[in-house]
Amino acid sequence: MPKLIIDDIEVEVPAGTSVLEAARSVGITIPHFCYHPALAIAAACRLCAVKMLDGPVKGIQMSCALPAQDGMVVSTTDPDALKMRKLVIEWLMINHPHDCPVCDEGGECLLQDFTIAGGHGIRRYQGKKRTHVNQYLGEGIYHEMNRCIQCYRCVRFYQEYAGGTDFGVTGCAGRVYFGRFDDGPLESPFSGNLVDICPTGVFTDKTGRFRARYWDYQYAPSICPHCSAGCNLSPQAYHREVIKIVARRNDEVNGWFICDRARFDKSDLNDPLRPRQALVDGSPVEWEAALNALATRLREFVQSHGADSLALVGSTRLSLEAGILLAELAARYKGVRLCYFIDPAEAQLSLSKVEWVPAGMAASQAELREADFIAILPCDLMEESPMIALAIRQAFVKGAKVYLVAPHLTALNLERLPFQVQVVPELADVPLGEAKRGIVVAGAGFADLKGLEAVPTGVKFVLLQPGPNSFGAALLAREYRAVPLREAIASGKVKGILALETDLPEELRQGLTFFAAADWRNNGAAEPASVFLPTSAWAETGGTWINYEGRAQRYRQAYKTGLPLRGLPARYYGSQEAEPPAHPPRVHRAVAPGGDTRSAWMLVAELIFKLTGEPAAEPYAGKWAPLKHIDPEGPGMRLPAELLAG
Amino acid sequence: MISEQLKKSLQQRVETAITPREAAVDVMKELQRHYGWLTDEAVGEAGELLGLSPLQVEELATFYEKIYRRPVTGKLIQVCDSISCWSGCCDGIIEHLKKRLDVELGGSSADGKFTLVPCCCLGRCGDAPVMVIGETFYGNLTPEKVDQILEKER
Ligand code: SF4
Ligand code: SF4
Ligand code: FES
Ligand code: FES
Repeated sequence: MPKLIIDDIEVEVPAGTSVLEAARSVGITIPHFCYHPALAIAAACRLCAVKMLDGPVKGIQMSCALPAQDGMVVSTTDPDALKMRKLVIEWLMINHPHDCPVCDEGGECLLQDFTIAGGHGIRRYQGKKRTHVNQYLGEGIYHEMNRCIQCYRCVRFYQEYAGGTDFGVTGCAGRVYFGRFDDGPLESPFSGNLVDICPTGVFTDKTGRFRARYWDYQYAPSICPHCSAGCNLSPQAYHREVIKIVARRNDEVNGWFICDRARFDKSDLNDPLRPRQALVDGSPVEWEAALNALATRLREFVQSHGADSLALVGSTRLSLEAGILLAELAARYKGVRLCYFIDPAEAQLSLSKVEWVPAGMAASQAELREADFIAILPCDLMEESPMIALAIRQAFVKGAKVYLVAPHLTALNLERLPFQVQVVPELADVPLGEAKRGIVVAGAGFADLKGLEAVPTGVKFVLLQPGPNSFGAALLAREYRAVPLREAIASGKVKGILALETDLPEELRQGLTFFAAADWRNNGAAEPASVFLPTSAWAETGGTWINYEGRAQRYRQAYKTGLPLRGLPARYYGSQEAEPPAHPPRVHRAVAPGGDTRSAWMLVAELIFKLTGEPAAEPYAGKWAPLKHIDPEGPGMRLPAELLAG
Repeated sequence: MISEQLKKSLQQRVETAITPREAAVDVMKELQRHYGWLTDEAVGEAGELLGLSPLQVEELATFYEKIYRRPVTGKLIQVCDSISCWSGCCDGIIEHLKKRLDVELGGSSADGKFTLVPCCCLGRCGDAPVMVIGETFYGNLTPEKVDQILEKER
């Protein structure tokens, strides 16, 4: 481990660490543009200059490209280094437009930060600026090439990291241009990361451009709800509307990136038709009144039909906390049906996957990136979990052998995979015995667990699940002896359902005498429900989801639920005029319009209190106690063996 | 469209390369010889031969200044404006060429005989200032010499 001195601080770092990272490890940020920890070194921008005072190399050096070595004495504040950085900034700013106020990157721009940090303030250059023509890059990303400082981050990400071929760098010298061959949507399903990775405003998120500045946003560490990979992200909300979603670093999981579905698909959260009003028999009422009605009706229903006619239904997108409390509610009514899954096959499969993988043998995305042999069982990864495919690409680039087991190739879309595979008819044809870090990857639909028995020991598994918390739901179902809803209904007894954040197929509501629902999603449950309670969406509340590998991850509330200020209906302005004015309502109220919701777990806790007169128990108790202190900004927590064991 | 014969010979060239990209310049040059410049169609054809996307061919095509992505009229005059020639006063030579041909850099003369472009160091710094017309090299240029050369090349 090389030892060196940076600005009089002694630093010891693992071999191969750059001087820039070594400095960062003791809290010194050396300005940099082209350097990015996830990408290959380019040393293109020349900004990260430091002065080497003593040791194996001397003089001004680029700290991003210089591995730390024993005996180095580094100064980041030497006048020569400062001058170099100042001149580099001035040079990079020569062609840059001086119009941050009309740039959507302003406020979260590395170029702004380091221009200020570098001390460049007065423009000396009098010549004409280089200008470019922008391209249409699709509905996700807006292109503004004049802001480019030629750091090559975008192309290194797009082609090298993500395997895209339709975006790159053309021209040379003063003409370099980052774009496509011609106008058209970017093809890579990871293209949105250009927004995060470009240190300036060349690529901005078209779906949220010019809506708010960085400092306007409310945001919090959160988890992607779209699949079971559990990628870390952060929703950025302004006036109760999610404007942008950005990737959040978690080296164990998604690294620095997210897929485009995670970034651009905010439609559920921002849906103007989201149910936000508590309803009893279809009429709007206060939250409290609806909860009272729910308690009364539940009580009456159980009295007249018996507890075993009632099903309490959670889902694979419900937070673990709400799931635990739902079980507590169920425990108060002997015989009640507790369900976390609708479909028996799905319930069975989720649990068998949880139990099938031996403790410690589930592979994280980080492990996938380092694997040397990967066998993919038939599935459309790019559809199901694009980030898993991106992780496999990193292994592939480092030389891993990737096999696709495909008895019938026809159904699979090989073209879209960002790596090359060798197609084999059966898993037995993959020489996993040769693997040092072998991993078998299977999609959520994969059911032939028996077929995995021949896999040599030491090989790890990525067994994807259908929902963001399918793993958690399977654990809950096992722990509390839940039954899948269809099975409960098939018994012929179920006459009443309380559905908690569950997408219930319509036919399952047929023939019920009582149906109540609580949800934030516009999934048609509010109308038929005799009592409906709106809940807060994942981004609007805290909770825990467990991803496919059994990693519990906590998400935090990013903003308070409510109707987005933009497009707020006229009735909230105290008038029924058709056109609401362009300013916030001046009617005083305690909660934001449409904001009278609760987290699902809170709803269940309140319900328990209403029904029993006793407060609900703390969810992180007993078996779940280890999950109490998960740091939302940490790597999450791999479930301990005692939680996994049946 | 290129002939089957040309296609075959280019395929052979690609096959003998260690990586297809290595053969890219040769392929582009041949296609350029065929079309006169590297047309969009040629970019697509090069991509197919090399297993690259059109954008990836474009990356290479626009990097090399002797691959032309725009039509070239008549003979191409490439005049060096890199450092040695600059100290050898290529600016004067370039101005002279512009005046004689009545074009701006990148433009073609009215008679369609010449297209004038600046270029990077031609590796003949000792003879600065220098230019290349077609494939013929000319060094130690003076305005008078340029006039003679143009007369000859016309
Ligand atoms: S990219 Fe950054 S420095 Fe450039 S105009 Fe936008 S905010 Fe300003
Ligand atoms: S577009 Fe952005 S990321 Fe790409 S080179 Fe320019 S400044 Fe860097
Ligand atoms: S960050 Fe080191 S040269 Fe760009
Ligand atoms: S600088 Fe002109 S030939 Fe080298």
